[in-house]
Amino acid sequence: MTVEEQIRDIVARITRVDKSIITRESTFKDIKADSLDVVQALVAVEELFEIEIPDEEAQNFQNFGDFVSYVENKVAQTEKV
Amino acid sequence: MSLEGKLALVTGGGRGIGKAIALKLASQGADVIVNFFRHRDTAQETAGEIEALGVKAETVRANVGDPAKIDEMFDTISTKFGRLDIFISNAASGVGRPITELDVKAWEWTMDINARALLLCSQRAAKLMSGRGGKIVSISSLGSSFVLPNYTLVGVSKAALEALTRYLAIEFASQNICVNAVAASAVETEALKFYFKEGMAQEGHHLTPAGRMVAPEDVANVVSFLCSEEALMIRGQTIVVDGGTSVGLLALAGKGG
Repeated sequence: MTVEEQIRDIVARITRVDKSIITRESTFKDIKADSLDVVQALVAVEELFEIEIPDEEAQNFQNFGDFVSYVENKVAQTEKV
Repeated sequence: MSLEGKLALVTGGGRGIGKAIALKLASQGADVIVNFFRHRDTAQETAGEIEALGVKAETVRANVGDPAKIDEMFDTISTKFGRLDIFISNAASGVGRPITELDVKAWEWTMDINARALLLCSQRAAKLMSGRGGKIVSISSLGSSFVLPNYTLVGVSKAALEALTRYLAIEFASQNICVNAVAASAVETEALKFYFKEGMAQEGHHLTPAGRMVAPEDVANVVSFLCSEEALMIRGQTIVVDGGTSVGLLALAGKGG
């Protein structure tokens, strides 16, 4: 599974939406994620990939694609180290 | 400096009330471990401000809503220091919604972070205080006793926290561990902005007989006192820091009309 697929699974599980409706362009509002859903998704993703996503960074995510790109970059950095 | 040589852990110590407490304890000579979860940068800034006061500071990341993370945090403290003198249970979260919109997930999230964390952290803290005594202070809010708009979950979790504080105080009394709570009215912090958006601050001024809203430092001053030897005979109490808001409600209502 790619990073994107893994994150999509997590977001779908937490927000209880069908993962087929989550695209890279989806906003958290589109998938009816409230602030608690967002925090829980961030925490679950952090634990899965063993990375840290500070709120200061997460606030800049405009959509699901931004979230995925951020995690992909972080994972790539971690692998280099 | 009354807390010289003491080691304190403040959960959620990077910002808001927790930061004010961390700095106050540091100003009294205590070394401070700042726990944070979502805001590493602010926690590190706070640690820098603590060190500028001439004491040691550490930061440790942990979601206190997760028992495994609490264990990891205390394992780290145990290995590194092997002791703890002061534990401040300040980290809090919550879901501000009307009762009809509350679900199990929101209940568990709020209760785990605001109430269960005090139990699990105190169990571990007491072990590190064993044989030396210590101080535990939990941070509550007026919402434990009074109804605030959309505050159900946090209010209920704070009521649990205050009750737990009483039980901890009695069970730990023989180990010379003092346990108390401080309940503040609305304090001007980022969390307040998060829960209530704008307007609350202005209303807060109006509702406070003391003439201004409670500041983080007001809470920190009382916490610091409860951590001092002068407060040794205060056990299991919730000290209200609200500028008179709670006892002045009827007088204010009369004034309003």
